Amino acid sequence: MRNVWLIARREYLERIRSKAFVITTVLVPLVIAALVTVIIISSKSEAAGKHIAIASNDQAFAQAVQARMMHGKNKSQMRVDVYAPSTEEDKTRLEADLQQKKIEGILTLAVKAGTVQPVTKYESRDAADFVTTGIREDAVDRATTERELAGRGMSVTEVDTLLKNVHIETLQNKNGKVQKSSAAGTFWTAYLMAFLLSFSSVMYGMNVGRSVIEEKTSRIFEVMLATVRPEEMMAGKLIGVGAVGMTQLLIWIVGAALLLVSPIAVKAISGGLSIPISGLQVFLFCIYFLLGYLFNSVLSAALAASVSTEQELNQYWPVNVIPIWLSFGMLSYIITNPNSWISVAVSLFPATAPIVMFLRMGAQMPPAWQIIASVLLLVISIYFMIWIASRIYRVGILMYGKRATLPEIVRWLRYS
Amino acid sequence: MPTVALEHVSKAYDKKIAVDDLSLQIEPGTMFGLLGPNGAGKTSSIRMMIGITVPDSGSVMLLGKPFDRKNLERVGYMPEERGLYKKMKILDQLVLMGELHGVDAKTAAQRAHRWCERMQIREALPKKTEELSKGMQQKIQFISTVLHEPELIIMDEPFSGLDPVNATLLQDIRLELRAAGRAILFSTHRMDQVEKLCDQICLIDHGRAVLSGGVRELKSRYPRNHVVVEFEGSDAFLCNDMVEEARNFSGHAQLKLKEGADAQALLHQAAAGAKIYKFDLKEPSLEEIFIQTVGGRVDA
Repeated sequence: MRNVWLIARREYLERIRSKAFVITTVLVPLVIAALVTVIIISSKSEAAGKHIAIASNDQAFAQAVQARMMHGKNKSQMRVDVYAPSTEEDKTRLEADLQQKKIEGILTLAVKAGTVQPVTKYESRDAADFVTTGIREDAVDRATTERELAGRGMSVTEVDTLLKNVHIETLQNKNGKVQKSSAAGTFWTAYLMAFLLSFSSVMYGMNVGRSVIEEKTSRIFEVMLATVRPEEMMAGKLIGVGAVGMTQLLIWIVGAALLLVSPIAVKAISGGLSIPISGLQVFLFCIYFLLGYLFNSVLSAALAASVSTEQELNQYWPVNVIPIWLSFGMLSYIITNPNSWISVAVSLFPATAPIVMFLRMGAQMPPAWQIIASVLLLVISIYFMIWIASRIYRVGILMYGKRATLPEIVRWLRYS
Repeated sequence: MPTVALEHVSKAYDKKIAVDDLSLQIEPGTMFGLLGPNGAGKTSSIRMMIGITVPDSGSVMLLGKPFDRKNLERVGYMPEERGLYKKMKILDQLVLMGELHGVDAKTAAQRAHRWCERMQIREALPKKTEELSKGMQQKIQFISTVLHEPELIIMDEPFSGLDPVNATLLQDIRLELRAAGRAILFSTHRMDQVEKLCDQICLIDHGRAVLSGGVRELKSRYPRNHVVVEFEGSDAFLCNDMVEEARNFSGHAQLKLKEGADAQALLHQAAAGAKIYKFDLKEPSLEEIFIQTVGGRVDA
């Protein structure tokens, strides 16, 4: 046990002190935060700075569309000029402006007396100016409805009240208790946790594989095995690298928690996205991380022991990664059918259990027995894999020169 | 009580027999040479001595008792391919190796400093392995092998990569270790070194011991039929019937005599035609015995 502790301590300290650890610990959250920020900013102001012109024969209608486009619910920050009632001269000038890239597009609104819908046309330089399409259509629809309702005698206030968006309150019934919930928040939280799980457990599992290869190519095994059992080496490595993973996750979680309670974050997300995360989910996250990590790392250690170079090991990575592709590939099916037999089966299958279980939690908390069963199945399969891996490891780490074939690996299992 | 003893040990991998009914003993305070061509079974034998692999049959006695992993703390092993963590600091690495052999961290650090000073590489302690020269790495590997003061020191091909000054330094240390009662096992092809250093040898080929015993005793089994002559004058004696093979380097000749040849008679004949400065009747070198025994299979 002392040897296991010494090896685990070495693995832990060497990794924690490495530049790679510091860089990934700081860089990964920064990259994720930067991506999220870019997505949010670009979705909010994708039309910002666009300059278009409205040419219409009805000034009031054109101004209503202009107001809607510039200050409607999208707050698009577009620049919209109105030419109404527009003349042939205006049209010619606008065409010239469009050619000279002074404006991005011309929206023509022709209102005919006696008809509800105006005849509309949009002319732009780019063939696929789909960015502002939604904003234009929404603005014209809204202005048309307002004009029609006002024409039938409704006041502006009445029209506003009538056209206000309906808000449907989302509630969740948990064991007979009805409570407020945010469907999007619940989903994204579970999705993020599943992503973190897959990312960290596979990444650290691969690290174990790389570490085995490093010791194999530098022949450290020869020295170590003169005093340490192969099983002790493998156990020390798994514990040490796993502890590094837990440390990194802890840093991210504490960092995220501190950020979320900071005044800036409270202000930024007030009334917006809530973070519906329960203590049970955090607990399960830790359990599934540990089990998922062990599953991947034991597999990686065995694969690494059976090859001689990192290049050969890289050819095996799909074995670790395919279950993750499968899990996320089934995302929409699992979210819409969280309790179908396929979803249940995939969430019990050890290789996909950690991720799929969290995706199911995004839709609905699975029954306790299914969570317990998936944990038990994972534990049994890890135990079985350790049994196989330690035998492959014991023989494989002393074999140099070529990748072992399957019959050779089967023979190694018989040696020990 | 021998420090290590293999008794009728055999090991096979699939159909290949790596070690076949091998028996040997290494006593405390001796230097033992395990010799043999590549693939003869030297590394397989060593691996069984330190429990990396288990023999299919026969027994391994370590430090006077049947093999027990607990006793591995009293063994130091330096493999042929040096094994150090590239990115780990030398002091941390030496302390770890000491701790893995049952030495506490503080003592291991003190010993690491002492040894590095002795080996004139004190500046290496705070550095990483990858920052050191090959010779320095070899010295560090040696220190990690002896830091825990083992009773049995096993060195696989320990002579490569060192300049003459450092080779002499290591040789002196090995002699001190032997004087202190440690058993030292060399596995090597370098016959000249083995001849100078080792008290006992075991020559293995195809997994079997083909020659074993004390170096002096083994050499005495072979006739003294090699002669070195330094002379001035006629070299007619080189063509004598008693001479099987002769190489003349103008005044310095190396001769191999035929079986049963009378060296004294040859000396008389040589002295009749030339002035003899030196007439040295030698026993065969270990290298010659080695080549003769394994039948030219040597790929060293």
